[in-house]
Amino acid sequence: MIAGGLLALGLATAAMAANPALAGRWRYEPTLSTALDGWHKMDLVIALEGTKVAVTHDMLWIRSKVVATNTYDTARAVEAKDYFRVEQRHMAVYPAKGGVTTATAAWIDGDRVLRTEAFTPVEVSQGNVTMRITSEYRVSETGDTLTVIELHSTRNRPLVYVFKKVPAEAAKN
Amino acid sequence: MKNRFILALLVLSLAGGFAPVSAETAPTAREAWIMHFDGDWKNASGLPEKAMLIGLQGLANRTAPRLYIAHAPDFPWEITVPLADFYTRKHGVKFTELKTADEALTLFAASAKGYVVWDTAVMPTLNVAYTIAGLEDAIVVTPALIPLAERHGLKRIDDLRGRYDGMTDTQIYADAKTRYFARCNPDMIMLMGGHAGDMRIPGIADWGVRQRMFFHDLSGNPAHKDEVALAMELYGAMNPGAFVFGWHSYVKDTEEQHTTLTSTFGLRMDGLQSLPNHSFNSQFTFTPGFKFQNQHHVDRDTKLVAEKKVYLAFVQSDGIGLGVWTKPGRGKLQLAWGAIPSWLEFAPAALEYFQESATPADYFIGGLSGPSYMYPNHIPADRFDGLMREAVRQMEVLDERIFEILDNSAADGNVGNADLTKETVDRYYAAFPNVIGFINGYGPARTFDLRNGVPMISYDYYIDPRRPREEVAADLQELITINRNRPYFCLVHVRESNDVNSLVEVTKQLHGPIEIVPVDTFMKLAASNQTYRTRYQLPTDPKHFEGFRRE
Repeated sequence: MIAGGLLALGLATAAMAANPALAGRWRYEPTLSTALDGWHKMDLVIALEGTKVAVTHDMLWIRSKVVATNTYDTARAVEAKDYFRVEQRHMAVYPAKGGVTTATAAWIDGDRVLRTEAFTPVEVSQGNVTMRITSEYRVSETGDTLTVIELHSTRNRPLVYVFKKVPAEAAKN
Repeated sequence: MKNRFILALLVLSLAGGFAPVSAETAPTAREAWIMHFDGDWKNASGLPEKAMLIGLQGLANRTAPRLYIAHAPDFPWEITVPLADFYTRKHGVKFTELKTADEALTLFAASAKGYVVWDTAVMPTLNVAYTIAGLEDAIVVTPALIPLAERHGLKRIDDLRGRYDGMTDTQIYADAKTRYFARCNPDMIMLMGGHAGDMRIPGIADWGVRQRMFFHDLSGNPAHKDEVALAMELYGAMNPGAFVFGWHSYVKDTEEQHTTLTSTFGLRMDGLQSLPNHSFNSQFTFTPGFKFQNQHHVDRDTKLVAEKKVYLAFVQSDGIGLGVWTKPGRGKLQLAWGAIPSWLEFAPAALEYFQESATPADYFIGGLSGPSYMYPNHIPADRFDGLMREAVRQMEVLDERIFEILDNSAADGNVGNADLTKETVDRYYAAFPNVIGFINGYGPARTFDLRNGVPMISYDYYIDPRRPREEVAADLQELITINRNRPYFCLVHVRESNDVNSLVEVTKQLHGPIEIVPVDTFMKLAASNQTYRTRYQLPTDPKHFEGFRRE
């Protein structure tokens, strides 16, 4: 039902330009954000193409680098076998082996904000369960700050990640 | 294997001059000296004199416990001052303070036959100098300290300046191996790593010198092929069941890599490089009549029935004596502690001190993975049972009923794959027939089992001391929500530098049908209703590191 509604919303907005200010490389600002656990650094690289929004997570833990992309489509629900969730890695919550995540996306609030919703299977000590993750990507009026608000179906306290735009030249390096 | 292991311990006793003084036979009053160190371990300032004094301590304590070092409040091992007080109270030790290196040499220079000069510009020469110090009864000095040594009648035994200029660490230690290794203790080796750059903390060098160990800081990082190959030569030449004292180099490799390497040879890792006073501590036994009595909350054969609740238990398994033991707050939360089992041999008074100062909320468990710190997925099959027999013996003496296991060989720091293969789990159940439960992990893990009423439970959460407490509470609440079956058994690992008072505040923020229980009660409850899924490490689980291949 929800997916259907979002699908209709996505079709309605597909022809419109998304918020282009969302595109680019964004760097996690720890002093303004919910603390990461099990990661030291996080960049988001967001690419917009038609109805598709690719969110690449460029993560660092000690010397280990993880790069993973979730591609959403504002016109339709997508399924992903390797959906990336910003884990709190000191919690025993793991991607379920072979799990398929269903995700939707929509532009809301006058196309300024991207909202995504993912139903992702996770493995916990009692077995496999599905976690719903709803996220909003909000770009500041000045275009230099991105706030990602992430709400879990299993967590009352939202996770708020604040990013600063990485200038295009610096992002190439 | 059993005979080989007993033989190894016997050889260890004879070769190392390991002869603890029984408090029952010791005089009621014993004279000893104490030095108070500050916190300056910089190569350019505080290290040279401290390195000399710690080596001197090893020589001064060769035949009797004479010299003890008390460290600054911010030193990693925070028990040195309370433990000195324990020696005074319980062993009649009357400490006289030595304020300067000159005073220490005035008293103990006769324990040395000379000095070895190390080169501050080639830091591995400090380790080579310590090796020579143990073999030749020398103190280690920088050029600036030569006049001091000579004022006390010490002659030059060796001078490493220039010998190793321009050589790699592999070349330096290969040369040292050729010159000295055959004469060194085959049951103990010193991994003197830790800090690099502009500081070192060779706190355990006294023990290495006293026991005539070979010192090195070779890498266990597979990217350093030459260093790993040489380290494997050294470890392969040690006796079965030998100890690796010290710690890995923070700049060369990781704890996970080096512990995997030592475990691959069935060797026992006993950290850290900063651990002080083993040469003193090893010469005491328990006070007369002392016997460990853990504060069990359930009898061994008790059967409990879990209610439809969330059961939480907290464990602190980093080296006891690090972190929170001496800080306010202990006793306000039921907390299990991993006692360091090898201290039965090397620092029994320290274990007695912990037992004496335990509150009703403190409970001791065995581990880590064996009679010392080891990664069981990599212990050779023919060494496993002998090592675990020693661990079982330690647990009996320490009155422990729960055994903790950690294999971070495939993990990435303290996140990632910390799971046990089914084969490893089978071995533990066979080797520890009398435990009431096993704990697995450091960070979270997902190895779970229940056999004959004995659960194996992995940590569901690791409390990073830097994580804001409100997020810790939210994390725990999320685990409670997502594991929706009741009872839910949530085992929490507490990093040693967490403040207990803050943990109490975290527990107050949790809501729901929650009960915090001691870990032995937790195990009995977990045995009554398996709501956790039996799982082992799978071949397809991601591995950060596969391990080493012994040739």
